[in-house]
Amino acid sequence: MSYTLIYSQVSGHIPYLLAGAWLTLQLACISFFIGWGIGLVNAAVLAYGPRPARMAVRAYVTFFINTPLLVQIFFIFFVLPDMGILLSPYAAVAIGMSLNAGAYLTEIQRAGFGSLRRAEMDAAAAMGFSLVQTIWYVVLPHIAKALYPPLANQFIIQVMTTSIAAIFAVEELTGRAYNVNSLTFRALEVFSITAVIYIALTILCSLALALLGRWLFRVNAKVF
Amino acid sequence: MAFLALDGLCASYGGAKDVLSDVTLNFAKGEVVGLIGPSGSGKSSLLRALVGLLKPRAGQVTLGGEAVDYGSRQSLRAARDRFAIVFQQYNLFQNMTALRNVAIAPTLVKKRKAAEVEAEARSLLTKVGLGEKFNAYPDELSGGQQQRVAIARALALHPDILLLDEVTSALDPELVGEVLDTIRALHAEGITMLIVSHEMAFIREVATTVVFMDQGRVVEVGPPAQIFDAPQSPRLRDFTARILRH
Repeated sequence: MSYTLIYSQVSGHIPYLLAGAWLTLQLACISFFIGWGIGLVNAAVLAYGPRPARMAVRAYVTFFINTPLLVQIFFIFFVLPDMGILLSPYAAVAIGMSLNAGAYLTEIQRAGFGSLRRAEMDAAAAMGFSLVQTIWYVVLPHIAKALYPPLANQFIIQVMTTSIAAIFAVEELTGRAYNVNSLTFRALEVFSITAVIYIALTILCSLALALLGRWLFRVNAKVF
Repeated sequence: MAFLALDGLCASYGGAKDVLSDVTLNFAKGEVVGLIGPSGSGKSSLLRALVGLLKPRAGQVTLGGEAVDYGSRQSLRAARDRFAIVFQQYNLFQNMTALRNVAIAPTLVKKRKAAEVEAEARSLLTKVGLGEKFNAYPDELSGGQQQRVAIARALALHPDILLLDEVTSALDPELVGEVLDTIRALHAEGITMLIVSHEMAFIREVATTVVFMDQGRVVEVGPPAQIFDAPQSPRLRDFTARILRH
């Protein structure tokens, strides 16, 4: 089999693909930050909440971790309209991804709430720190530092996961690559370019996160 | 009158057994008190009780003529203003540089001017031999260096009494000397100290008074010569016999 690479037929579509990559980044950010908030509240509930609330959080986490994301979004997109809740594909994917990320981020952040430094809290108390000062200057920096690497990881996972939106005709990077392929039938060219954009996107995000981590917490994360 | 007086102090970690039972001691200003005894004898608990990390169940602590009420936040704060404790495991704030570790409490708790505190923190760190390490984080320092930062941090609070809780126990043997030298220098300045230590030779050298504790009780109090060379109680005689054999 011989195949001649003809990038010229596809190269005109690159700006269209890049605009899709922008949407990919948006979806990743939205779902990550909402999921982060959900996870933070849930982790606090698991650490300090009453039993019924803890049970509810466990049920949520168990459900979303043990079912595929695709099924969750199908549910939101196709089942909710029967109940009178009509969502755009974009909204359905964003909500599904947020809820899914929320479950994983609950588990991640639960560990952070367990990583208190008793010894440093003793030192702070003995030096006359108030409780608020102890939490702000001693407890939170540790939690944040301990959680930063897994949170950054989860963000990269969110970037990759956005490709699932293509199934719902959301025109993020994968969706647009699919469109360009239907137009040009240059599958190898289209998807190789798409792969390169994904790699560039991930590397840029990793780099930005590593630098941010180094600046905030002296986390010596490997960039590559 | 005694500068620091403990009268019938009892404390427990919530269990039925007291870790401190009926501890009565009096110290004068400028004294260096060595607290010795087997593990679990209540030495460290005594220091923790003084700074309110272990709430006394009964008894009275009087510092400079004022009774400390560990139930009252205001009184506790006043006490923590006058005691400073150095822990066995240093307990430095890992997310802060050496300089910030030393400077944070005076600025945050005592509301002193940041510039003035920082200048003092630099001179304190220089004094404990860490003039090159202002911006190092605890995990970049050796155990001995971390412990010296912790001592500088305690000194920055200008305590009336410095409490040293087995400050060399977590150190490699070759690092013990540098920390002991730092304490010797403080001793020369006449600062009042309560030192819990297993370094008997060191206690003998710097202490003006030695307290021997066992099972939460004070068994014997006296000058080093008495405690180490002519112990009165059988329990202390047993203890010294055992440690001097090594």
